[in-house]
Amino acid sequence: MTRHQPSRRLHRAASKLSAVVMLFYFSAFLLLGLKDFAWQAFALALAVPAMIWLGTNFLPRLFPADTLLLSLTNFLCALGVLVLYDTNPTYAYHQAVYYAVGLVAMVCCVWGVRAVRRWGPAVFMLLPVSLALLVLPLIYGKETYGATNWIYIGNLSAQPSELVKVSLILIVSYFMSRRLFIPWLLFAVACLGILMLQRDLGTALLYYGVTLLLYFASSGNLLMTGVGLVGGAGAAVLGYRMFAHVKKRVALWRNPWADYENAGYQIVQGLMALASGGLIGVGLGLGSPRTIPVYHTDYIFAVICEQFGLIFGLCVLAMYLAILWRGSTIAMAARHAFHGLVAMGATLMIGLQTFVIIGGVIKLIPLTGVTMPFVSYGGSSLLSSMALIGLIQGVASINEDDLREDLRLATDGEEAFE
Amino acid sequence: MKRQRLHFKLLFLMMAALFALLAAFGAYSVLTYGNRWFASNRNPRVRAQKEAVIAGDILDRQGTVLATTAADGTRVYQSREAARRAVVHMVGDPQGQVSTGVETFQTSYLYGFQASFTEILRTLLSGESRRGDSVTLTADSRLCTAIVSSFDGHSASYGKRGAAVVLNYRTGELLAEISLPNFDPNRVSEIEATAEGQPFWNRATQSVYPPGSTFKTITEAAALRNLEHIDAFSFVCGETPLVAAGHEISDYGGGAHGALDLTGAYARSCNKAFASLALQIGQKRLLQTAEEAGFNDNFLFRDLVVENSRFPVTAADDWELAASGFGQSSVAASPLHMCMIAGAVANGGVMMEPRLLRQVTSPTGRVRLRYTSQVYRTAFSPEIAQRLKSDMRQVVTNGTGRAASVNGVTVCGKTGTADSTENGQPIAYGWFIGFADEPDLPFACAVLVEDIGEKTSGGAAAAPIAADIFLWLRQHQGEIVDAESIH
Repeated sequence: MTRHQPSRRLHRAASKLSAVVMLFYFSAFLLLGLKDFAWQAFALALAVPAMIWLGTNFLPRLFPADTLLLSLTNFLCALGVLVLYDTNPTYAYHQAVYYAVGLVAMVCCVWGVRAVRRWGPAVFMLLPVSLALLVLPLIYGKETYGATNWIYIGNLSAQPSELVKVSLILIVSYFMSRRLFIPWLLFAVACLGILMLQRDLGTALLYYGVTLLLYFASSGNLLMTGVGLVGGAGAAVLGYRMFAHVKKRVALWRNPWADYENAGYQIVQGLMALASGGLIGVGLGLGSPRTIPVYHTDYIFAVICEQFGLIFGLCVLAMYLAILWRGSTIAMAARHAFHGLVAMGATLMIGLQTFVIIGGVIKLIPLTGVTMPFVSYGGSSLLSSMALIGLIQGVASINEDDLREDLRLATDGEEAFE
Repeated sequence: MKRQRLHFKLLFLMMAALFALLAAFGAYSVLTYGNRWFASNRNPRVRAQKEAVIAGDILDRQGTVLATTAADGTRVYQSREAARRAVVHMVGDPQGQVSTGVETFQTSYLYGFQASFTEILRTLLSGESRRGDSVTLTADSRLCTAIVSSFDGHSASYGKRGAAVVLNYRTGELLAEISLPNFDPNRVSEIEATAEGQPFWNRATQSVYPPGSTFKTITEAAALRNLEHIDAFSFVCGETPLVAAGHEISDYGGGAHGALDLTGAYARSCNKAFASLALQIGQKRLLQTAEEAGFNDNFLFRDLVVENSRFPVTAADDWELAASGFGQSSVAASPLHMCMIAGAVANGGVMMEPRLLRQVTSPTGRVRLRYTSQVYRTAFSPEIAQRLKSDMRQVVTNGTGRAASVNGVTVCGKTGTADSTENGQPIAYGWFIGFADEPDLPFACAVLVEDIGEKTSGGAAAAPIAADIFLWLRQHQGEIVDAESIH
């Protein structure tokens, strides 16, 4: 057991924690159910804790997992379902289904990371598929909130840029672990170019941040990373000059009250929600969070703060930070450069995305329309976040396998010595 | 691999720093600005609560009920129209048109958002409707009415737009705050928000004006602090205007003051002398003294929303610096802030945080909150404050502010006549800021009269109103001064 692995005590604490978490969600849905005796709430009161059990206590039986990371992920997913049920039950039913699908996606990613031995051919298959997926909305998409990043197939809609996040991390990590600088650059520029064409600047920012930081993690070249940062800043200034909706967002960030009735409405309503929650919140099922436009995706953090209060909001932040801590610890324990980069890339993606959206809600930075990982409503978003956790868990399980192998060899050696 | 691990660690630390920034910024903004975001008539939560909760009363320091809720749920204000109009910008109106009034800004008390769980449970069990907290103000509504009638009692200010503030400079308690034109809160729905003179606008706290010569108080403080031979300062004010960077600086009325020392230049409000002082002090040091007096600060007072005052951070040329020296260029301050500056001079340089809430009482009569005085900042050193005080006394005894003198009160003050433009037309603002240098009458006031015309000065338009204020204070001394605030 090295210091990179969570101790047994941490494992035990995590499984005790999941019992408390299950009880919390059971009683929360029960409480909401008593409000109007909707059977759906009672169904969720059983289904959500069941999924938490599956996700936290059952999954580690399939593969050696990081249980703390699992508990945190499941807590946040369930929090999304809970807050959505209170604001719009239909969204909650969908989200519960996405949660279940997300768990499956996570297991698939764990399996994928464990099963694939030769990443070269896999990456060269993923690369064209990813680019094609990214281009799709430009052909079939419709514009929403100033960006064209959705595709619609019948009744289903999906945001390919969310799903491509996963393959992006695999592809970039592969290139970086092989020191393939030129393909890395070409791929990054292609992705960012397509996203700029879709005017999906929030996602572009995430892609750019993760590719650049993975380059730094792998090469440690501060000079080139600096050049990349300056280039990014230049692109941001260019974006500000070129796109009217970027200009508007920056102006609103600086003073949302100036155009309260129209463009600033969402930000101001979000701030009012934060303020009315105070330190301990107005309580589950109370307050008027539905007055915030897009409360179910971008602004779900404001809803959480209104109902549960600022202190709980800060705790949610701490949970994300704990996820980042587990993710980077797993990345540090990895024995292959590629695995380390995959785990770190997924961690950075989750961390940057959380920072960008919560920073936008509390008016630290201009608002960009990205989702809050695990919590925001949306199948594509939840699926991709869970898949990212799957990548980290896959690396964690490989680390654990390697350790066990070492231990076996060591004990075999001792036996032979005796 | 080893280096890669180090980089992972660095990246994690970077993310942790970003998250710490999120947490710190989020907590700071909610705790600092929370009530400002929340207490808005645009907040749908407040509108919902207004239907469910009977709003609490608003009382002044004498216990006069300024606003209460009738049985049918409508807000009722004082029965005398003049009285309810005089306090309308302070108290607010039922529609929240005065966005910073107590009716709106203290929503969280008046509509019972601060009620504890047991209080809510008790009303639920008793079956009565919930009531909000009552709010007692530090203000005296009689003084507000008296100031409004004083505006109409002098020909130079009759029918003019303007504002006046009176506060206790030892405690920071606001005794009066009026803005003209005002309106009748009972008829708020009949008034357009864009009506002539913008009656919903609280000119005492929400507008910033060029302070004109009243700003010479700050310039003199900067001179006393920074110029070595200031005691030997002398200036000969002749007929010819002073020229700085191609602009002419002349005095009000265009006359010559002759040979002046510092006190004389201040008392007779010589622009040329103060322009030359400002040039000697320099932009950086003048800015420093102005900022110590609260200019360019983000005012976040507990129960008042006040527009921030401005002093130019850089001066483009000598003309701008010289003009800043007598409160022109882009210097701007609200009447409340100028009143705080006068109060700081009287209070040995210590500026108290202005406050309007005296106490908050729950529907059952329990005192939920009793406000205490807080120092806002130290604006001047005690020595400089003493010198400013004696010079401000000279203004009233034999300077430009003689109209503010009152028998039996040691009134000190400074006049000002500021030039500006409004909708492209030149407009002059008449100022008087001052205080009573009396241990048993610790009050400062600021009076602003808009558009006083070419031929009138702040000394003629605003100072007589200040005299009326100090006379009223002397006459009602026993009722308005708390024992604790007399030293």
